[in-house]
Amino acid sequence: MAWPSSPEPPVITSAKIVIAGGFGVGKTTFVSSLSEIPPVNTEAWMTEVSEAVDPIEEGSSKTKTTVAMDFGRITIDDSLILYLFGTPGQPRFWFLWDDLCRGAIGALVLVDTRRLDVSFPAVNYFENDTGLPFVVAVNLFDGRLWHELSEVRDALALSPEVPLICCDARDRASSARALQTVVTHAMQQMGSSGPPPGALIGR
Amino acid sequence: MRKILIVGAGQSGLQLGLSLLRHGYDVTIVSARTPEEIRSGRVMSTQAMFNSSLQLERDQKINFWEEEAPKIQGIHVSLSAPPGQRALEFYGPLESYAQSVDQRLKMAGWLETFEEQGGNVVIHGATTADLDGFTRLYDLVIVAAGKGELVQLFDRDDARSPYSTPQRKLSVVYVHGLEREPHHPEPEVGINIVPGLGELFVIPGLTLSGPCDILFWEGIPGGPLDCWDDRPDPQEHLQRTLDLARQYTPWVYERCRNVELTDPLATLVGAYPPVVRRPVAKLPSGGAVLGMADVVVANDPITGQGSNNAAHCAAIYLQAIVERGDQPFDPAWMQATFDRYWEYASLVTAWTNAMLQPLPEHAQAILAAAATNPTVAARFANGFANPTDFQHWFMDPAKARAYLASLGA
Amino acid sequence: MATQQPNRWVRPYVLTAGRTRTKRPLLMETLVSVTNYDPGFATTLLPESRALYEYARRTLSVAELSAHTGLSLGVTRVLLGDLVAQGRVMLHPTSALTGGGPSDFHMHHNVQLLERLRDGLAKLA
Repeated sequence: MAWPSSPEPPVITSAKIVIAGGFGVGKTTFVSSLSEIPPVNTEAWMTEVSEAVDPIEEGSSKTKTTVAMDFGRITIDDSLILYLFGTPGQPRFWFLWDDLCRGAIGALVLVDTRRLDVSFPAVNYFENDTGLPFVVAVNLFDGRLWHELSEVRDALALSPEVPLICCDARDRASSARALQTVVTHAMQQMGSSGPPPGALIGR
Repeated sequence: MRKILIVGAGQSGLQLGLSLLRHGYDVTIVSARTPEEIRSGRVMSTQAMFNSSLQLERDQKINFWEEEAPKIQGIHVSLSAPPGQRALEFYGPLESYAQSVDQRLKMAGWLETFEEQGGNVVIHGATTADLDGFTRLYDLVIVAAGKGELVQLFDRDDARSPYSTPQRKLSVVYVHGLEREPHHPEPEVGINIVPGLGELFVIPGLTLSGPCDILFWEGIPGGPLDCWDDRPDPQEHLQRTLDLARQYTPWVYERCRNVELTDPLATLVGAYPPVVRRPVAKLPSGGAVLGMADVVVANDPITGQGSNNAAHCAAIYLQAIVERGDQPFDPAWMQATFDRYWEYASLVTAWTNAMLQPLPEHAQAILAAAATNPTVAARFANGFANPTDFQHWFMDPAKARAYLASLGA
Repeated sequence: MATQQPNRWVRPYVLTAGRTRTKRPLLMETLVSVTNYDPGFATTLLPESRALYEYARRTLSVAELSAHTGLSLGVTRVLLGDLVAQGRVMLHPTSALTGGGPSDFHMHHNVQLLERLRDGLAKLA
């Protein structure tokens, strides 16, 4: 994607879909399977007071928490690029999630049925704190679905209008289909009641 | 032109940013939210501002909502003892009115104004990594985002922080339709104390949909007013607020016959331990940043001083910045600047921390005297506008007795 | 593929609900280009700004610029904002800006653009 720098590069529109979920659900694998560039990440770090510190001791010990946001790129055509952004695993730093989600078309929340709980914060975030359209995808780690989707829906307490699908994050075609579902869902939401009320709902 | 970057777009950050623009500084504000997101988001505070703070806004010509917002003329204190019975009440007129403008309206408007007036706005949730970089690019970096994670960069000042846990559980709801107090039809702040359990504040304000009232319960942890951990949905939140009013402050409940939520995001639940932090934080690359307002002094809202402190802090920092001229904004200057603010804030903090505890005998005597003596009532009410006055009578048993004796009370 | 581009370049300021001019937020995916690279100008820049200016000779997103320069996202946004204000770099449109509200968290998206995206993804599926 290197353009000659003068006189004027062609105009390209960019779009974004957020790939969310807890640690180890396959976000990086998913982004890698589709991205035309090796997954890049931008790092942020925060200084935090260490939880373990003895409050009697004078002076507080601080820890540096690094937060990585993986992303990848898909050239759709000569004037449209789709970026995929993986959310940081640290669910504490919601403002980073807000930043990723601002302007996104929608989100895909990946879940691992063996450890559904690690994706609860992501589901809660999209259900309660944003108006962003989102789809939940069970990542088929070994190519098999271990639980019925209806069981997964119940366990995640998903609203009926949230699409729930399967995908294999290692497989490019399967991942692309999952993204298609996100785009289609976003289009349907636009068609129905218009965008949900402005969405950065305080926590 | 000196370059100053402020992280945070609340009362202190925006007031300082707008004031610095007027003084010709190159100012950048980093806000985690756009004006539209702030406007369409959740309520943030109760933000009653008294005259000394409103005057600071007038001085900078940023009092944009002064005409629209209800003018609060007095403070009405009631004691519910035993719970549900009004044992004592007094009304103290304010020498000049107070006002509460919903920060969704105010901060969104100020942020847009800041940009229109030539300030740089960067929409970004700042991390420590960002601060580290900013210190190399700006003459001065100020952290004014008291509700964010960045506050952890500033060490707790144990000697100035008597509490390590929240002293109240907070619940706020904005309503339309509250009837005025029958004996005082003009807007007033209601302070309803339920000894041992908590307080209900009733604050007239201006929100997105016009004039409103804010019902604000402060519940002592573990008691019946500590009942918000389930984060009820907005209707349930309002209902619970009213149920508590019926039980503990029926004279407020009587005015609530026709109340309704102002909007679906008009409720707020929270709790935080009051804390004072050290004002200067060093970053790995060697730079230093200065904390302001509730980043460094976060008191319980029981005395309604949060936004007032923020306004005073912004004014004091402005003066210190301007006086500094071309001299470097080094850590020693940062500490000295905070120390100027602490001269004011320490008195507010002492008063606020005292109000969280069961009132000592001399303070009870003052409230009892206020119920029969309008001079005492007025002095108490106007202390909210000038909280440095409390040290001279309310905070000290001997001075309190001497004051009451001087009145023959 | 010839696609209609009603607004070729994105102006940095837009009207919000008829009220006031407000700057568009630099989104993670906003693409940035240098229009007329000026080597003389490049030498006047601070190292951080210069790195961004050089990388943006290729069309790259804010996130990529941050990753390639090693600058934090916040620093990247602040410095890019300066370069935009000086007219030295241009911002490409994002899907979120073509349809409507410029600063809503949940932004509107152009339906035709979503269709192109859906059909483009179908080729990968």
